[in-house]
Amino acid sequence: MAFAIRKKRTRELLLIWFFLAPSLLIFALYRIIPLLWNGVLSFEFWSPYKPAEFAGLYHYEEMILYDDVFWQSFWNTAVFMASAPIGILFALVIALLVDTPIRGRNVYRTIVFMSYPVMTVAVGIIWQWLYNEDVGLINYILRSLGMSGRGIPFLNSSTYALPAVIVASIWQVVGFYMIILLTGLQNIPQSLYEAASIDGASAWQRFKRITLPLLRPSIFLCFVIGIINSFTNFDLIYVMTDGGPSHATELLVTYIYRVAFKLGQFDYAAALTIVNFAFFVFLAWLANRLSGGEAGAVEST
Amino acid sequence: MTLKRLTGVAIGTAVAMAVGLGATSALAQSQKKISIMTWNIPYFEEGMKKWIDLYHQKRPDVQVEWIDKKGTEFSTFYQTQVVAGTAPDIIDIQGGLWLEYASQGGLVDLTPLMQRDKEYTAGLYPEFANGWRFEGKNYGVPFYISKTLLFYNKNMFKEAGLSGPPQTFDQLMQYAEKMTGGEKSGLMTLNFDWLYWPFFAVNGIELVTPDLKKAAFNTPKAVALVERLAKATQAGVINKISWTGRWVEPNGAFAAGNIGMLHAHAPAYFWFQSKGPWVNADTVGAANFPGGWSTPNSHALLMSKGTKHPEEAWDFMKLATSGEGAFIFGTGSNNLTGDKAANARLMKYFEEKIPAVVPALKTQLENLDKLVGNWPLAKDAQVKEAFYPELQAAMMGEKSAKEALDEAEKKVNRVLQRR
Repeated sequence: MAFAIRKKRTRELLLIWFFLAPSLLIFALYRIIPLLWNGVLSFEFWSPYKPAEFAGLYHYEEMILYDDVFWQSFWNTAVFMASAPIGILFALVIALLVDTPIRGRNVYRTIVFMSYPVMTVAVGIIWQWLYNEDVGLINYILRSLGMSGRGIPFLNSSTYALPAVIVASIWQVVGFYMIILLTGLQNIPQSLYEAASIDGASAWQRFKRITLPLLRPSIFLCFVIGIINSFTNFDLIYVMTDGGPSHATELLVTYIYRVAFKLGQFDYAAALTIVNFAFFVFLAWLANRLSGGEAGAVEST
Repeated sequence: MTLKRLTGVAIGTAVAMAVGLGATSALAQSQKKISIMTWNIPYFEEGMKKWIDLYHQKRPDVQVEWIDKKGTEFSTFYQTQVVAGTAPDIIDIQGGLWLEYASQGGLVDLTPLMQRDKEYTAGLYPEFANGWRFEGKNYGVPFYISKTLLFYNKNMFKEAGLSGPPQTFDQLMQYAEKMTGGEKSGLMTLNFDWLYWPFFAVNGIELVTPDLKKAAFNTPKAVALVERLAKATQAGVINKISWTGRWVEPNGAFAAGNIGMLHAHAPAYFWFQSKGPWVNADTVGAANFPGGWSTPNSHALLMSKGTKHPEEAWDFMKLATSGEGAFIFGTGSNNLTGDKAANARLMKYFEEKIPAVVPALKTQLENLDKLVGNWPLAKDAQVKEAFYPELQAAMMGEKSAKEALDEAEKKVNRVLQRR
């Protein structure tokens, strides 16, 4: 009897592994092995044309002690990441507005959400034109209002380029944040607001004591998406500024691409990738801790 | 479905795939095949067919595969193919990318083949052929040639009371100033690769020392020049778009008719002509940059080290870069080639078919002893990356000329020193 049960369990396990195997294989091929190989590569002098040589910490030393662009792209990534709360704040305001019983709120929701499904490349091109120094809408408005004489070269100025790209990025993702927050808002029981009103709580108190605390998981989710976005926002930067001017909009991800494929330094790009990965893992750990250490946990039933 | 059945299906599929793959690969191995990867000439489909037909007259047993990639994806694609061991046999390349490949042993040294086929080599322009030499070895044969020149808006020249193109650098700046006002700028330059270097060359500034080991550009003359150019940029005399590092916007701006002079390579003509209906022989002139200095932006054909058929690939390269093959390319792309005889035919063709472009094309064959910005630096791309952002910062008024050049010198020297 025990043997039959064990045999059945073994067969079940085999079946489970059989179905899991393709996904695991693909995951290992495209994620685990490249990551490991990347780690090895970062300690080597390597090019597609030559046999590898051991480099020790050479690339890391180069990066930390001599590479100003690395530090600039590191800083820009951090700034990009720090801008996520601005987008979340905007989305929260919009979500609160479209959550109120106003006429045509579904239309407003759709309009705000519309920017999200637009391809990032298209978003980049749209904003490139909006920022254009000579014929861009933004400069046209500024000139019409008498706020600027010659057009402002938003994307060609080290001062304005990063904020300009961040605005475009926020514009694209704000609709998605809004939907997440709106769902969170609609899950808050109405009875809590009614009870608070009976107790004499003002609108601000209701927002501060009920809405915000109960929205915390949704806000946290938006924040995580914002962090991921700041690490992966390659296409928007590539289309709008290509990391320029003078690396003012270079993110770690665009710099890694530049070093590997434009400068042909795959080994150095591998070291940059390891640092990028470590930075990301640290942030994920920090976010997990701040959320009470339960992010991503599956509830056992 | 039971586990037994599932296992049976999996094994059956694997066997069928293995048999299929084996048969396909045996079939593929029965015929020789070479591949050529070109740089953004998707419109050349008809010409490529003619090339392949001509090639098959000599080598009917060799299959030719054509891959075309945009400049932005060229390097990424090529390097991944090299890593995968499936690099195209022949590549059409421009700029300094090839230096990185050549210095690391990724390309075939063509010198012995060029010495063997003397008649073919004698037909090429030595100045352009020498642009593809690294450490005494030839890695490329000139495919189509282009170098920078000065286009000028004759309408704006007339309005400003100017009679002809500037002959000196001072005149260039003075003319640009005269034409600037309102939405109009006097001057614009393309700046990708080293296309802006004639501005430095005309002022006697060198990028690196003759042994290519140290930066040589940080001189009082260079500081004065960068200050002058930056001041002109801030005043709108040089349009700011000049320093964006792209080429579409500057060409587009010239096409709008508000730019007095455009320093660009010859193919820019067709681009801005297609965007500006006002552009014709009466409204746009072409001249050499003051002093005759220019930066080549030519293309060459090179051979990947991994090629299995070097002789077959070499025959194709010769066909594409000389005689009828070169003429086919010239007429199909409106370019001059690296072959002298083909160019003589092409100039006649252009005089008859597109006379407006002839003045620009003529400049491409002049002052060939004054080609600059084509240093055989193994780390050309890295040096560019170290130099240009600093220059850009100075031009955009974000750094002083001295600060920018000091910083650029430090970075360029670091690139040249490191492994």
